Amino acid sequence: MTIPAIPRRIDVIRTFKEQGGYVAAVLPIHYPRSLLRAFNILPVEVWGPPGIKARDGAKHLQPYVCSIVHNALSFLQSGGLDITDILIVPHTCDSLQGLGSILLDFVSPKQPVIPIYLPRGKRESDVDFFANELRSIYRQLEAITGHSPTDADLLQSIYREEAADKLLSELHRCRRNLPFSNLAFYRLLRNREHLPAETFMELAQKALAQKVDTTQDGGIPILLSGIVPEPMSLLGAISQMGGVVAADDLACCGRRLYPPGQSDDPFRRIAERILYAPPDPTRGNSIKERLEHLLQLVETSGAKGVIFYEVKFCEPELFDLPQLRQGLQEAGLPSLTIEMDLNDPLSHQALTRLEAFLEMIQ
Amino acid sequence: MSIGPALRYHWNVNLLGRAGLRWVRWQAERRVKRGAHGKSHILTPPLKISARTKELIGRHYLKGRYANLRGKVAWVTSGAPIEFLKALDFYLLYPENHGAVCGTTRTAVDICAQAENAGYSRDICSYARTDLGTMLSCQTPVGKLPKPDLLLTCTNICQTVLHWYRVLAHHFDVPLILIDTPFVYTETTDHSVAYVKRQLEEAIPIAEEVAGQSLDERKLKEVTRLSKLASELWLELLGRCRHRPAPISVFDQFIQMAPIVEMRGDNFTVDFYAAMLKEVDERIAQVIGAVKNERKRLLWDNLPVWYRLRYLAEFLGRHGVVIAASTYTNAWAELTPKMDPERPLESMARTYMYPILNRGTGDKLATMRQMIDDYRLDGVILHSDRSCKPYSVGQMDQRDRLIRDFGVPALLLEADHNDSRSFSKEQVANRLDAFIEMLEV
Repeated sequence: MTIPAIPRRIDVIRTFKEQGGYVAAVLPIHYPRSLLRAFNILPVEVWGPPGIKARDGAKHLQPYVCSIVHNALSFLQSGGLDITDILIVPHTCDSLQGLGSILLDFVSPKQPVIPIYLPRGKRESDVDFFANELRSIYRQLEAITGHSPTDADLLQSIYREEAADKLLSELHRCRRNLPFSNLAFYRLLRNREHLPAETFMELAQKALAQKVDTTQDGGIPILLSGIVPEPMSLLGAISQMGGVVAADDLACCGRRLYPPGQSDDPFRRIAERILYAPPDPTRGNSIKERLEHLLQLVETSGAKGVIFYEVKFCEPELFDLPQLRQGLQEAGLPSLTIEMDLNDPLSHQALTRLEAFLEMIQ
Repeated sequence: MSIGPALRYHWNVNLLGRAGLRWVRWQAERRVKRGAHGKSHILTPPLKISARTKELIGRHYLKGRYANLRGKVAWVTSGAPIEFLKALDFYLLYPENHGAVCGTTRTAVDICAQAENAGYSRDICSYARTDLGTMLSCQTPVGKLPKPDLLLTCTNICQTVLHWYRVLAHHFDVPLILIDTPFVYTETTDHSVAYVKRQLEEAIPIAEEVAGQSLDERKLKEVTRLSKLASELWLELLGRCRHRPAPISVFDQFIQMAPIVEMRGDNFTVDFYAAMLKEVDERIAQVIGAVKNERKRLLWDNLPVWYRLRYLAEFLGRHGVVIAASTYTNAWAELTPKMDPERPLESMARTYMYPILNRGTGDKLATMRQMIDDYRLDGVILHSDRSCKPYSVGQMDQRDRLIRDFGVPALLLEADHNDSRSFSKEQVANRLDAFIEMLEV
């Protein structure tokens, strides 16, 4: 059994543009996909990318800023995002706040820059504010594209994204009934970062068609937490050492299993979807909520341990670690923290620690 | 409050403590009169009122030590809208200020180590590490910190405070009020101001429940009025540094700013800054500068290097360089006109959205440019603070623009506000030497 053929990112972008669409480069983590698509804008996410020369970014950013932000700026400045028409910078953390601000004030790229402020709660006031923030972004996109999608257009776009996210959740849920390796599975999932929802759904349905009734014996089940599983060789290494990622709490994957919205107002509905997603420190969820979520993932997936795979200098992640690990320990779950930089290969030291951890929980 | 704890509080704070602190102040004042600070050829002795500053800070922490006996305690961030808590009689503890005390007393690294041993990364804010170290070990140079009944965090200075206070909320298991202030990239929006105001309105019942009393609107107005008065005096005080020679340097300001951060809304804070202003005016009248033989004047950007204040003041002072202004101390002054005691909540929403740290990098550059003109400054030192990303990201472009567009010499100085392990004395000295040479002192 093999993973369905995945179209190349650059081909997807070119095809979309040839059909008259726009492309937006989007920085991590949460943003209104359906709003962009209603304007015929394809969001293409930029998680770094890894393994590039970060020299250009170093002209603007200190070395103690994380490699995701460094690489994104370097990639932009080296022309890697020239094909895109808009830059979307969600206010995810202090470093992305700074990046959004210097893009607007100093770097001034050829594309218009749209920052998005995400509220740090899920109170009624947060939903209302975010809905208003989305209305403001609507007006900016209207000015850029000249399109004015109606509420019905917006809702249609939202329903499409909800359908795609439902399939994404289904993939997560039955991952152990799918005949894919860790690496192949995450390559499939991460297509959501750049494929149009309709293309992703076709891919997901083909993958789900290969589902079997019995759980695949992939090895020692673990829960993977963190921002992004880069370098992706991490996933291959986990497989080689006898482990299988049975569930994840990754910012690029599991924390974006957006539930369907409730409201008939399109802006509120988008806001609800994003703010009611699984716990994420960048959206201000409490440590208790995060811990309960991790324990629930462990229970449903049968994971025997948790690996926190963190990007160096990522404050939102680093603050939570001691209390999360303590909470897991009290629940009898061992955990491991590995810190990485997007530009470094997986270190021998990290591999050794990973191997020892898997042996310990076996 | 029952009689036993009330008596204990009164005895320790109002009788023994007050007398002890007065004695310490009296001794310090005598030392200043005798010139016991030594005849420096570089720096003018500290302001006479410094003895009172120490007394105020000492009294604040002494009250804190016994605050759990007397009433409710809230831990708050330095930029938080505290007026409603003050009006509800909370004792307010500012962990950032406590961090600064640990920094100046050079106990921060040991305390940070307690947090690091518990798993907190050295890459997170050193104020936060200091506070979490104290939370875990109770180690502090001020004796003891009171336990919070309530936490108030406001994202107008950084997102770090949100993550930090979530940790505190989990540890102490107390309610956390979040006032989320959308970042002002270019200009603010009405829906952002409405959002902040609504959060303030929603916060009040939570605080009332913890306080066990209702908010008295007249009291809120009075606290806001006192906050505004103290901020106005602080603004005037900083403005006095436009004089040549500057009567006080930013190193004095860093020490003297403690009351405006952690005691605003109090009567005695207003009196304190009024008295300080009088003393500073006397210095101006007598043409006394903070640095003897002032030759060049600079702007400081970002937090202080708390554990090296004296070293930096003397190093620069030796060359006749005074740092006369700072974007940091200015942050507690520049928003004063926005405060309106008659409309406390709405004006608080607007005021607390606009600190320099909640504004875009270009706006910060414009503020710096304005300060350079207003204070007739010759250059800028931008402290690239390893553990304060929101203040530091953007500085590389700001430095380049200051040099390229405005012809203002600017230096990026690598350090950390509270963690001395990130301070290389030799490297700093070399860079400052080269910068001073460039200033043609």
